[in-house]
Amino acid sequence: MSESEPEHPDVRENRGAIPEAGALGRWVDRGGLVFAAGIVVAMLILIQEVVLRYVFNDPTIWAHETTVFLCGVAFVYGGLYCAARDSHIRVVLVYDTLGPRMRRLFDIAISAVCAVASAFFAWAAWLMVSRAAFAPDGAIRLERSGSAWNPPYPGLVKIFLLLVMAALAVQFVVLAWNHARGRR
Amino acid sequence: QEHTFRFQSSDPAGNPNFQLQQQWAESVAEMSDGAIEIDLLPVESIVAHNETQDAIAAGILDGHVTDTSYFAGRDAAFGLIANPVGAWSAPEEMFGFMEDGGGAELMNELVEPYGLHFIGATTPGLESFVSAVPLEGVDDLQGLKMRAPEGLVQQVFAAAGASPVNLPGSEVFTSLDKGVIDAADYTVFSTNQAQGLHDVAPHPVYPGFHSMPLVEISMNKQKWDALPAELQDVLTQSVRDFSRAQVAALAEADQAAVEEAKASGEVTVHDWSDEERAKFRSIAQGEWEKVAQRSENAQKVYDALTAYLESQGLLN
Amino acid sequence: MEIFGSLQGLGVGPATLLMFAMLLVLLVTGIPLAFVTLLVALVFALGWFGPMAVPLITSRVYSFVGSFVFVSVPMFVLMAAILDRSGIARDLFDAMRLVGGRLRGGVAIQTIFVAVILAAMSGIIGGEVVLLGLIALPQMLRLGYDRNLAIGVVCAGGALGTMVPPSIVLIIYGLTANVSVGDLFQAALIPGLMLAGFYVAYVLIRAWLDPKAAPALTGPAPSTSEKLRLLRGLVLPILVVIAVLGSIYGGIASVTEASAVGVAGVILSTVVRGEFTFTLLKDAALQTLQTVGMIVWIGIGASALVGVFNLMGGIDFVSALITGVSDNPHVILIFMMVILFVLGMFLDWVGIALLTMPIFVPIITDLGFDPVWFGVVFCMNMQVSFLSPPFGPAAFYLKSVAPPDISLGDIFRSLLPFIALQVLALAVLIAFPGIAWL
Ligand code: NA
Ligand code: NA
Repeated sequence: MSESEPEHPDVRENRGAIPEAGALGRWVDRGGLVFAAGIVVAMLILIQEVVLRYVFNDPTIWAHETTVFLCGVAFVYGGLYCAARDSHIRVVLVYDTLGPRMRRLFDIAISAVCAVASAFFAWAAWLMVSRAAFAPDGAIRLERSGSAWNPPYPGLVKIFLLLVMAALAVQFVVLAWNHARGRR
Repeated sequence: QEHTFRFQSSDPAGNPNFQLQQQWAESVAEMSDGAIEIDLLPVESIVAHNETQDAIAAGILDGHVTDTSYFAGRDAAFGLIANPVGAWSAPEEMFGFMEDGGGAELMNELVEPYGLHFIGATTPGLESFVSAVPLEGVDDLQGLKMRAPEGLVQQVFAAAGASPVNLPGSEVFTSLDKGVIDAADYTVFSTNQAQGLHDVAPHPVYPGFHSMPLVEISMNKQKWDALPAELQDVLTQSVRDFSRAQVAALAEADQAAVEEAKASGEVTVHDWSDEERAKFRSIAQGEWEKVAQRSENAQKVYDALTAYLESQGLLN
Repeated sequence: MEIFGSLQGLGVGPATLLMFAMLLVLLVTGIPLAFVTLLVALVFALGWFGPMAVPLITSRVYSFVGSFVFVSVPMFVLMAAILDRSGIARDLFDAMRLVGGRLRGGVAIQTIFVAVILAAMSGIIGGEVVLLGLIALPQMLRLGYDRNLAIGVVCAGGALGTMVPPSIVLIIYGLTANVSVGDLFQAALIPGLMLAGFYVAYVLIRAWLDPKAAPALTGPAPSTSEKLRLLRGLVLPILVVIAVLGSIYGGIASVTEASAVGVAGVILSTVVRGEFTFTLLKDAALQTLQTVGMIVWIGIGASALVGVFNLMGGIDFVSALITGVSDNPHVILIFMMVILFVLGMFLDWVGIALLTMPIFVPIITDLGFDPVWFGVVFCMNMQVSFLSPPFGPAAFYLKSVAPPDISLGDIFRSLLPFIALQVLALAVLIAFPGIAWL
């Protein structure tokens, strides 16, 4: 963090993935645009729904579920996005008092622990997907919402969660590795 | 206790249905002389209401007390058997189908592949329809902005010409009050009255014509199979007793609430004619057929259901 | 030794203490909070039950991201991100000079007024703290305000975002407790303004006791035409407030939809001001993705932990703890407040709501209290949680935009008097429940 720039906040600047996140981090950072756009689309759908219902008395059957889906995948991806950018909220009361050597050790340990946890969750997400993507007889069928419109969003979100948990595990391994190498 | 089972309900802790379900859990302990203890948890305490099936199969939960329609996304059959909109005019008709009409066997055919055993069915009863405008029949549903939960209920109302709106239950009161919606599929009359819905929507249709959810009590199949036969019988019997007790308790509460509402002079209770009810049922039947095409199991449910209704002279 | 299931030997009480100790230790090591709670959830899932319980965590993650109420979170964040990039907030701040005027402590009071208007547009904290940290904090520091006072005003003022309706905390409470969000919004309005009033009074008293702590503005007073020009800065924000709250109370939109109406209002405002560009929207959307990732993953972690704790028998444990404490309803109520206060030190409000509300609300109703009023009480309590260390979100948000010489420790120290004011407001709300119904 630069010491000479008091006015310039990191929250407003698009600083991208941290160098230690490697090539994967840069890809995750770029992919963010898709999901950010999804949030804007969700907003437009909600406005459209209000207008259709209030002005034309003709609500849709798809707006509600589609909005939830777009926001849901953005939430899931947001966790990976923040991991690549190191922008998750951290309580740095102790961390800030450490010297550079200890900080590096902490960075390695934190990334390694998070990698192990994410791998566990990826495994658990696989168990979930195995029920959501396959019928009990083994045939492929995506879990649907069961609504009148009945989109396969639940199945898709579960699969997406599995992919993100797996990517998160890999991202933390990359972070641990690069922190250990001392790469900047 | 020899057996301790953790069940999750689809009702929140403060709900009257949850309190009745707790009495069921206590009755099981009594009827089994303490051999079975059921620890009943409110909705969402372990997993979400529509994730309990997986959790039971995985051994995280042992069982659930839940509206079967939450699993309609896994197999359309669950949606159809849980709430064949318009089919039942009284809880006893549904219990008849479940206990003597092959319904229980069918339910087990549906849930066993998912690792569950269906013990029995109950229901909070025939729901009352909440409306801010007078409704005398199907024609009045045209263009009616109404809240309906996702699923067959929504589909049938759309087919009847209404404009269903998706809203969480907690938003129903404000939305009726502010006129975002004119009517709502909510719950039984007494609860609607207690929550003040009739203050903002004084034209309830009671008895309802549209919805009577099947609440299933099921548990992990392996754990069920491991129980001695006499304890299995105790569980099955306890659910039968409970379903009658729940229906009686809620019907009594409904009756008292209807008297109270009528006495207030502010509420007009509308009762649809048999003709209008039949008209709505025939629209609903058209939708059952569509759902039946979504899966083999759904077709099975449709066939069993129509055969039973016909045998009882309930189908026109 | 068998590891899986070995923790069960502890019993729920000691295990709860161990859980808190682990949370605290992992939290201060600098592990992202979202992963601290996820890790503790994982350790207890494995240690109490074994690997078969781990899918419970992913199931809760799935359900959490798929709930309709959280749709309003990205909307509120997007609104703040656009405000932040346009001149709307700065003009609003300038217009509020007319309120603060040439009083001692005027800029601090001006800041609180801006905070209230921002709070009436949006329903989360974060955006507000950041905006005030960017606009108001540098000005107060330049004028020679006491640093602690300036920091406190920004954090406490920004946190009002969830106390003045609309509010995501009240929305979630409404869904968990099954009470009307509209009623909650109405009931929270006066208590929210009362809390803001306490902050204003505190600033005035500090300025009166110690003129150096909050100097008045110098220079000539603005002319009438200058005043009119400044007032224009109020128009668009007030229109957005009317659009958001008006669409809820006018029966046009549901609470969640109203948050999108707010975003549309802010976008239209930038168009009116000639500031709208595609880049502005893109940058705001990307920042929203990042902020939402942070907020929602903290909620995800908390939700996972709550699920594991409940599976361990946490519900019965906490219920017994509460009902066993006394027969006096008010003692039980105060005990609940203490629990919320302690949880607020470690957990995000979402986790606290998921953990405690299913247990507290039925008890509250049994005791004869009004669940709508209790929702406002809960919301007021969460105001404290935003500021209390070591996990104080408002402090973290400010830290991200404050000059580097202000440490997290400095910020937390500055917040102590404001926490005291929040506790005072809570006490008043409990002593005079009628405040929620004025
Ligand atoms: Na607000
Ligand atoms: Na806190």
